[in-house]
Amino acid sequence: MVSGALLFQSLILGLLLGGLYALLAAGLTLYFGIMRVVMLAHAAFIILSAYLAWWFSSVTGLDPMISLVGSVPLFYGIGYLLHRYLLSRLRPTTMTMMSVLLTFGIALAIEGLLGLVWTGTQRRINLPYGPTSISFLGAQIPVVQIISFGLAALSLGVLYLIMKRTQFGRSLRATIQHGQAAQLVGIDTTKVAGMGFGLGLATAAIGGAALSLQATIYPSLHWHWIGPLMAIIVVGGLGSIPGAAIAALALGTIRVLLEIPMGPTWAQTIFYVALFLTLMLRPQGFFGGRLAQRF
Amino acid sequence: MPNDSEVRTAVAPPGSTAVARLRSLGSGRTGPLVGIVVVIAVLATWPLLAANPYMLSAGVIVLNFAVFATAWNLMGGLTGYVSLGHIAFFGLGSYGTGLAVIHLGINSFVAVLLAAIVVGLISLLVGWAALRVRGASFVIVTIAIVLVLLLVFQSWRSVTGGSSGLVVPRPFPDMLRPEHHRVFFYIFLGLLALVLVSYLVVDRSRLGQALKAIREDEDKAQSLGIPTALLKLAAFGISCFLTAIAGGVYALWFGDLDPIFQFDVVLSSQIALMALLGGVRYLFGPLVGAIIVGSALEYFLLNFGETQFHLVATGLLLVAVVLFAPDGVLALGAALIRRLGPSATSIREMSAADVRAQQDERAAARGAGAGGSVTEEPSERASDD
Repeated sequence: MVSGALLFQSLILGLLLGGLYALLAAGLTLYFGIMRVVMLAHAAFIILSAYLAWWFSSVTGLDPMISLVGSVPLFYGIGYLLHRYLLSRLRPTTMTMMSVLLTFGIALAIEGLLGLVWTGTQRRINLPYGPTSISFLGAQIPVVQIISFGLAALSLGVLYLIMKRTQFGRSLRATIQHGQAAQLVGIDTTKVAGMGFGLGLATAAIGGAALSLQATIYPSLHWHWIGPLMAIIVVGGLGSIPGAAIAALALGTIRVLLEIPMGPTWAQTIFYVALFLTLMLRPQGFFGGRLAQRF
Repeated sequence: MPNDSEVRTAVAPPGSTAVARLRSLGSGRTGPLVGIVVVIAVLATWPLLAANPYMLSAGVIVLNFAVFATAWNLMGGLTGYVSLGHIAFFGLGSYGTGLAVIHLGINSFVAVLLAAIVVGLISLLVGWAALRVRGASFVIVTIAIVLVLLLVFQSWRSVTGGSSGLVVPRPFPDMLRPEHHRVFFYIFLGLLALVLVSYLVVDRSRLGQALKAIREDEDKAQSLGIPTALLKLAAFGISCFLTAIAGGVYALWFGDLDPIFQFDVVLSSQIALMALLGGVRYLFGPLVGAIIVGSALEYFLLNFGETQFHLVATGLLLVAVVLFAPDGVLALGAALIRRLGPSATSIREMSAADVRAQQDERAAARGAGAGGSVTEEPSERASDD
C-alpha cells in the first residue's frame, strides 16, 4: 500500500507541475481565441526559450531567469510578426487547417535549427540550488519546482490583470468575442490580435525558462509537451483560459499520482485518455463555450 | 487489368444510351483510367534505369510514400479533414503484419490483408471518436493518436520488442537484396495502382460527391440530408485500411520495425505535405508530391547525413506551400498552362469579337435610322476604350 506521505508529496508535486502546464496551455488558448488558430509551434517555442535560458546561463554563469529580460520581448516581437506576416495571410475559409500545417512547419524548423546550432545532446542547467529541497509538512519539495510554479502563478496573474484591467485587455477580449463588432467600435483588430499573439508567445518564453530549471532539454522534447498541452485545451474547452487552467491542474495532479503505480511513461497516457473521454462525452470540452466544437 | 474493366462497367450505367455513353467518355471519365495506366507504365521503367540497388530502394521508398499519400488523400483531400496522424494506422498495419507472421505463421501477404482488416476496424472506432469534432480539434486528436501509440509501443516490450525493434521474417528468404528490392518495387507499384483506382472510384461515386460537399460546407451538406457522420467515417475507414496495407507491405520489405519510425509524427506530417504540395484535388497530386518530397528527403540524407537539416527544410517547405501554393503544384501548373495556352486568348478574342459584333449591329441600326455615313464612329470609340 502506498504510504500517506508519498501520496501527499505527489499531490503537492502534481499541483506544482499543473501550475506550469496551466501557464503553457494559457498561451495556446489565447491564440485559439484570437484567430481560431491551433498553434502547434507553441511547444517548440517553449523549448527554444529553455535553450536560450540554458545558453545564457552557461555562457555568462548568471541565473537562467535573467535571460527572460531578453527572451520575453524577443518572443513578443516574434509573435507579433508571426501573426502579421504569416497567419493573417491565410484565406479565412481554410484558416484553421492551414494554420495547423503552417505552425507545424514552424515547429519542425525550430526543432531542426536547435539541433543544428546546439546538436541533439541532452542539456541541463547546473544550478547551485538545483538539488536542494525544502520540507513542507513532511513532503520534500525541490526548490526549482517551487520557483517554476511561482513564476507560472505570477505570469498567469499578470495575464489575468492585463486581460481584465487594461484598455488593451478590453480591446483584445472584444476582438476575441466578435472581431467585426470590435472593428465597428474603433478597435484596430489586426494590431490588437498581433499584440495578443505576442502576449501568447511571451508566456511561452516564461514557461520555457521555468521548464529549463527542472528538466533535461533536447530539440525533440517539444513533442512530449504539445500532446499534453493540446489535450488540456480540448478537455478544458477550446478558447477558455480558466477551463485550460483547471484542466491543467487536474490532469497534472492525476499524472503525478498515477506515476506511483504505473511509472512515468504509462502515466503520460492519462492526457490522451482524458482527451478521448472528453470527445466521447462532451466534445466541446468541460468549460468551453459554443465555439469549441466547430473548430 | 481487372480493375480497369471493373471500373468501366461501374461507370457506364446499365441501359444507358449510346449518346450518354459518349457523353460520359467526353466528360473525361475514362481519361483518368488511361492516365493511371500510363503513369504506372512509366514508373515501371525505373528498375531498368536505376543504376544501383540503392537507387532501386530509394524508388521503393518513394512509391511507399506515394501509396501512403494517395490513401491519405482519400480522407484529407476529399473531406478536407487534415489528419496528421495517419502514420498511426501505417504503424499498426506494419506491426500487425509482423506479429501475425511471427505468431500465426501464416503467409506474409495474407498477414498484410488480415492486419489491414483489423486496423480498418480499429480506425472505425478511433474515427467514431475523432470525427465528432471538426477542424483543429480533429487535427489535435490525430496527433494525439500517434503520440499515445508511440508511448504504448515503446513501453509494451513483451509484445512489440520496444525500442530494440521487431524483426519481421522476409517473405522471400532466399532472395538476394537487389532482387528483393526489385520484387517489392513492383508490389508497391501494384499497390499504387490499387490505391489510385480506389481513389478514382470513390471520387466519382455518390460517396465522393457527398464527401466533397462536406469539404465545401459541412453544415449545408448536413441540411441537404447527407449523413455526414457516417460518410466521413466510411472515408476514414477506407483511407486507414489502404494505409495499413501500405504499412504491412513496408514491414515485409524493410523487415525491421522500431516504434520511433513506425509512429513518427514528422513522417506523418511529411505525408500530408506531399499531398498538399502536389495538390489534394488532383488524382495524381499526392503521387507528384511524394516524388518531389521523397527524392528531396533522400537527397538531403545523402548530402547532409543524419543532421537536423532535413527538419528545417521540411518545415520551411511546408510553410512555403501553405502560404504560396495551398492548392498544390499541379494547380499552379494548370494555371500556367491556362495562361500560356491558346484557350485563354481565344476566350478574350471571342468576347472582343462579340462586343464588336454588337457594336456593329447597333451602329448599323443607327446608321439605317440616320441614313448617313457615321458607321465608323462607334467602333473607333470602342477601340479607345
